[in-house]
Amino acid sequence: MTDIQQTPADMGDLRVRAIGIEKSFGDNHVLRGIDFEAAAGTTTVLIGPSGSGKTTILRSLNVLDRPDRGTVQIDHVAVDFTTLPPKGGVARQQIAKLRAQSGMVFQSHNLFPHKTVLENVLEGPVQVQKRPQEEAVAEARDLLEQVGLSAKADQYPFQLSGGQQQRVGIARALALKPRVVLFDEPTSALDPELVGEVLSVIKDLVTEGWTTVLVTHEIRFAEQVADQVLFLDGGVVVERGTSAQVIGDPQEDRTKQFLTRILDPA
Amino acid sequence: MRHAFRLLVLSVAGLFVGLIVLPAGAANAVAPAKDDRPVVRVGTEGTYPPFSFHDQNTNKLTGFDIEVIKAVAKKAGWRLQFVETTFDAIFTALEAKRIDVIANQVTLNPERKAKYGLGTTYTYSHGVIVVKTGTKGIKTLKDIKGKTAAESTTTSWADVARKAGAKIQAVEGFSQAAQLVQQGRADLLINDNIAALDYLNTTGSKKVEIAGNAGSAVSEQVLAFRKGDPRLAESNKALAELKADGTLKKISEKYFKADVSVPNNGKADLSGGRKARSDSQVVKDAAGPMLKKLLVATIPITIISFAIGLVLAVAAALGRISGDRIFSGIARVYISIIRGTPLLVQLFIVFYGLPEIGVKLSPWTSAILALSLNVGGYAAEVVRSAILSVPKGQFEAASTVGMGYWQTLRRIVFPQAARTAVPPLSNTLISLLKDTSLLAVVTVTELTRQAQFAAANSSAYLPLYALAAFYYWVVCFGLSSVQGRLETRLNRFVAS
Repeated sequence: MTDIQQTPADMGDLRVRAIGIEKSFGDNHVLRGIDFEAAAGTTTVLIGPSGSGKTTILRSLNVLDRPDRGTVQIDHVAVDFTTLPPKGGVARQQIAKLRAQSGMVFQSHNLFPHKTVLENVLEGPVQVQKRPQEEAVAEARDLLEQVGLSAKADQYPFQLSGGQQQRVGIARALALKPRVVLFDEPTSALDPELVGEVLSVIKDLVTEGWTTVLVTHEIRFAEQVADQVLFLDGGVVVERGTSAQVIGDPQEDRTKQFLTRILDPA
Repeated sequence: MRHAFRLLVLSVAGLFVGLIVLPAGAANAVAPAKDDRPVVRVGTEGTYPPFSFHDQNTNKLTGFDIEVIKAVAKKAGWRLQFVETTFDAIFTALEAKRIDVIANQVTLNPERKAKYGLGTTYTYSHGVIVVKTGTKGIKTLKDIKGKTAAESTTTSWADVARKAGAKIQAVEGFSQAAQLVQQGRADLLINDNIAALDYLNTTGSKKVEIAGNAGSAVSEQVLAFRKGDPRLAESNKALAELKADGTLKKISEKYFKADVSVPNNGKADLSGGRKARSDSQVVKDAAGPMLKKLLVATIPITIISFAIGLVLAVAAALGRISGDRIFSGIARVYISIIRGTPLLVQLFIVFYGLPEIGVKLSPWTSAILALSLNVGGYAAEVVRSAILSVPKGQFEAASTVGMGYWQTLRRIVFPQAARTAVPPLSNTLISLLKDTSLLAVVTVTELTRQAQFAAANSSAYLPLYALAAFYYWVVCFGLSSVQGRLETRLNRFVAS
């Protein structure tokens, strides 16, 4: 068996590091070598046209889509996908370990419809992390309070509005105590009047010091919360910097075009 | 792939545990604690009065042949185990070593003599032609050319009819044949004069009558063993002793008021035998035993087979979904074989076919094995499509909260798939319940077989089978209401 035991790089202040991530779906080369780093407690926003690969980056970070090449490191767990065996116990174990470092919020929430709000939040801590029920319940109730849904704990997802469902999705991700929270277009599927409540919850998290990586089309919101913005197109990072740099004063033509289209659609 | 394999191994293991443990409690062999007499399994119809039938009051297997073989066993020092099956399956069962001897008025003929170990004659009788009352023009064998005779196809009576140029309408026993003749769906039947007299006497039927003798030859009935079985000699010795000490005569006179164990025995008289009963009395007598078979055979076999079948179905479904070439292929072939072949054929293969390659399972085990495999094949596609109906996002969400394969299936996928799967699976369960009525062919006495026993003692086919239908319907009705409640429960998390 190949020894794929990895020595995680000393991360210092860094929380997330991606090196040379490549991913193809069939002939479609979606990611063509992505590098980026995110410091602890910061917010990284990925923007770009659809098909640019931003969602795939997010899904690579917790291996919902397994990178073909490159290394992903979150906190002290690093996996080099270039050398990781395609299957087998070692690969599964490594992936599970990496995955445990992040929490994911989906565009379409993906709540478990057959479980109540509270049960949705508890599923990870109790069933997977095997934490004591009482402690987990207390924490889950705190999280629901934080996202403003204490009163809905015993309802089923179908009884909630889209914004409420997404807030439960956020609570479910946070309950895992992840080292980084990944948001995949968390407001794209919502009615416009429900977007605000979800963004405000995310903003609270950022303020509280959670490390987040966010894919969004809400440029104005990105501008407010992002410590770092990556503009992607065609599977590469075209431009990166602070939000003031990338959104306020873009240098690349493709970035300018994209921002013009999205900020001034008419 | 590893997961699918694990489940496959698990389910196969479960199947075997189920097959070994469960029938143990249900086996019909009565085994006294300390009895080292050799066991001899006796094949008999149980639907051929007055030779082999179930007493209308006690429901116990009895009859002339049953008493004779019991007397033989007593002399020879055997312990008997009765296996009831249709006559047409009886020689197959003998060859497949499912039984050791046939005690069912096996008529001596040259073909059988060449093939089996036949004993000394214990019944002399002659064939008669039975027709619908008032039929003209059928008196002797010469008259039946081109007519339709209702017969169990492998009996010597069927041979007689065939040789005389009659077409054979296949039936499963005397009373069924009589029913067809009475209904005009067959022109005649040929059978033993004693059986015919008994039928007329027991049913009080005036709708059929004996038209005449089927030839002049006396036929001789014997016990049939496999060739080379040493127990043949033991039974011949015992029969000789029974003849000598008058036991055989006594048994014969009890049933026929004549000694049919010697040639030229005079006229058998069955008027003192079992009394004719009204249809309502027939149904009343049969209701209890039929209910009992529903409860101790039909329902448990259904439940056990369904449970094992579901595990197989899940394994096959996961095998197909896994995308792994080998497991997906195995699952595909399994599903295709089960769905592409009749259940009856599957039952025959398991019960009569497997012993030829050294796999001999008890009737219950065979029944459960065949039914489980059948359910598994049918339910696999239902389970597969139900699993596929769960959105991909659910699998993804489960893995982001850290769940493994099994945990995801158990906690997230199956509860949601159940919603989709319950209605079609209920259909499968209901079909299975009714399919158990085929088990009579593998000698499992369940509800339908019990109804056949009762019908063999009477001509009350309509009320008896209506009663059987009613029993099935009641259970299916119960299942449907359970299904309804289950669906409501599973739908509680869905917007209405």
